[in-house]
Amino acid sequence: MATTKLPKKKTTASKASSTKTTILKKYKEYVLTHGAEPRSVFTFAHELEISESEFYQHYSSFEVIQSSIWEQFIDDTIAGIKKNQPYDEYSNRERLLAFYYTLVERLKQDRSVVKYTVQGKLKKPELNPPFLKKFKSQFFEFAEMLISDAYEKEEIIQRPLLSDRYKDGMWLQLVFIVGFWLKDESEAFEKTDGAIEKSVNLSFELMGSGPLDLMIDFGKFLYQNK
Amino acid sequence: MKELSSIPSSKIQRTSKFLKTGAKVGGNYIKHYSKRMFDSTVSRDELDEDNAEDIYESLSELKGSALKVAQMLSMDKNLLPNAYQDKFAMAQYNAPPLSYPLIVKTFIKYFGKTPEQIYDTFSRKAVNAASIGQVHQATLGDKKLAVKIQYPGVSDSITSDLKMVKPIASAMFKITAAEMDQYMGEVESKLVEETDYSLELERSIEITELCSHLENITFPKYHRDLSCERILVMDWMEGMHLKDWIATSPSQEARNKLGQALWNFYDYQIYELKQVHADPHPGNFIISPKGELSVIDFGCVKVIPNDFHELYFKLMRSDALEDGETIETLFYKLGFLYEDDTNKEKAFFSKIFIELIELLGRPFQHETFNFGDDSYFSQIYEVGDKIAKMKEFRNSRNIRGNKHGLYVNRTYFGLYNLLNELNANIVTGKKYLMPA
Repeated sequence: MATTKLPKKKTTASKASSTKTTILKKYKEYVLTHGAEPRSVFTFAHELEISESEFYQHYSSFEVIQSSIWEQFIDDTIAGIKKNQPYDEYSNRERLLAFYYTLVERLKQDRSVVKYTVQGKLKKPELNPPFLKKFKSQFFEFAEMLISDAYEKEEIIQRPLLSDRYKDGMWLQLVFIVGFWLKDESEAFEKTDGAIEKSVNLSFELMGSGPLDLMIDFGKFLYQNK
Repeated sequence: MKELSSIPSSKIQRTSKFLKTGAKVGGNYIKHYSKRMFDSTVSRDELDEDNAEDIYESLSELKGSALKVAQMLSMDKNLLPNAYQDKFAMAQYNAPPLSYPLIVKTFIKYFGKTPEQIYDTFSRKAVNAASIGQVHQATLGDKKLAVKIQYPGVSDSITSDLKMVKPIASAMFKITAAEMDQYMGEVESKLVEETDYSLELERSIEITELCSHLENITFPKYHRDLSCERILVMDWMEGMHLKDWIATSPSQEARNKLGQALWNFYDYQIYELKQVHADPHPGNFIISPKGELSVIDFGCVKVIPNDFHELYFKLMRSDALEDGETIETLFYKLGFLYEDDTNKEKAFFSKIFIELIELLGRPFQHETFNFGDDSYFSQIYEVGDKIAKMKEFRNSRNIRGNKHGLYVNRTYFGLYNLLNELNANIVTGKKYLMPA
């Protein structure tokens, strides 16, 4: 589980792309060894022996670097599921499970970076910290696909008002899982596996047709016929 | 697209089915044995009076390994009839089945490959629930395999469960925390061992090789190269579970043949190998189409230390019971009696233990023994009930019995019950019990 094989970003000119990866790599090294941001873009560029303007060509700030690190995580995750799992044959519950398992595996390779970037910023998940911006929009894209497919296969049901919030629920779940994993001290993070398994099962039960709907239905009936 | 519409519901069904089966089997056991128990002179009211019910209630609220400990302690102190114990055994781990993505993840973690990359076919769903894992069926070439995968986090939960049960158990059985430790240590180490599939693999291979000469008994071949700490792979054994096999009403001859194989298997392990498959639970055996016994689970193996072995089986010899002096020395050494017991206590406990040993050792005293004889079993239950009612036992300052005895007793209880279900009349002999 070394920190190798970061797949190259799609198709940019190779030299520019290599500078871009170098910046990213050096940035990771810097924050991990110093435990803090470089003092300024200027000092950081200087250390990399590139000009400040070259830095800005690729990233407009350190936050943007963090954001692309996380974007890389989710890109790798989605590519990973499709590679290693019979994704197309899965139910959407299994897809979501596979997503979280693969995500945690991917984050594991960069646990220190994850820890550094998160640093308590996930306490209020609705705040949407800047470093998760791209990650979140990618995740929503994934979640929306999953949800609409799940409607089609009747794994979950549409409910007035609530349906639009399903993906937000999944986001909270993701934040919970990442937070749980960061605090997990069990061997090989086995407890996180348990947390994923149980929380996904629960959320699909909740989104699916269940006692809740029957209760509401019954309540409505009583209200209308009292 | 289309075939998927039914997956989620069937998954739920699957989960609830596992639970239901567990509950149903447990319920049957209770019905089956309670009839037998309550047919005798013991009435339910009397049981209630003596708080056996209380113990049962508190036990049934425990889960996982905590349950197992309480269960074994109560068995050792003879506080609970076997019927209840079986129900507890069934309820032990009621974890829902693992999702397939988690299985894939586990495979990638240990082998760097997905199940599909390793096997030609691999069942997406579990075909069976094992106590701390689940079994999938796979094929590789022309071989059909059983792949057992452990639930994640089981070994972690054991230690925390045991911490939880300790105060409860010591209050329930009025045992001081210090005395509890010797039992807890034994139980914990066994439970943790059960979660190490690499160890199970080595033991399975060892014991199956040593026992391969036994008649009418077969073992699956284990696959070392496909196994790891959390995944255990063996040949798929065709056949029926004991209950289903009995339901086909096999001939007396077939029952005896099977019972004899079972008896010889345990006899050989206990006396020759001095390590024993300490979990004679019906689910651990399969009856092959030829009517042979297949042993499929070596999760719990008890190695019997030499000194304990000698002491314990001296007791089983008929002549030992008649020799008052020898027996007292043995009782002290095995922890049935303590130096600080009063004379009254000494007399009381000696009498009880001699009665128990005579009863449990009875099959050894005869050339052949009919385990189908229900009156023998109701005697055992009666004594069990009687002891459960004795305040002296529950209030005893000391644990009566030896920690090694815990698993040996459990093994014999289980074995006798299996033989009773088989209704087998077999040669029990005294081969190993004659004085050297």
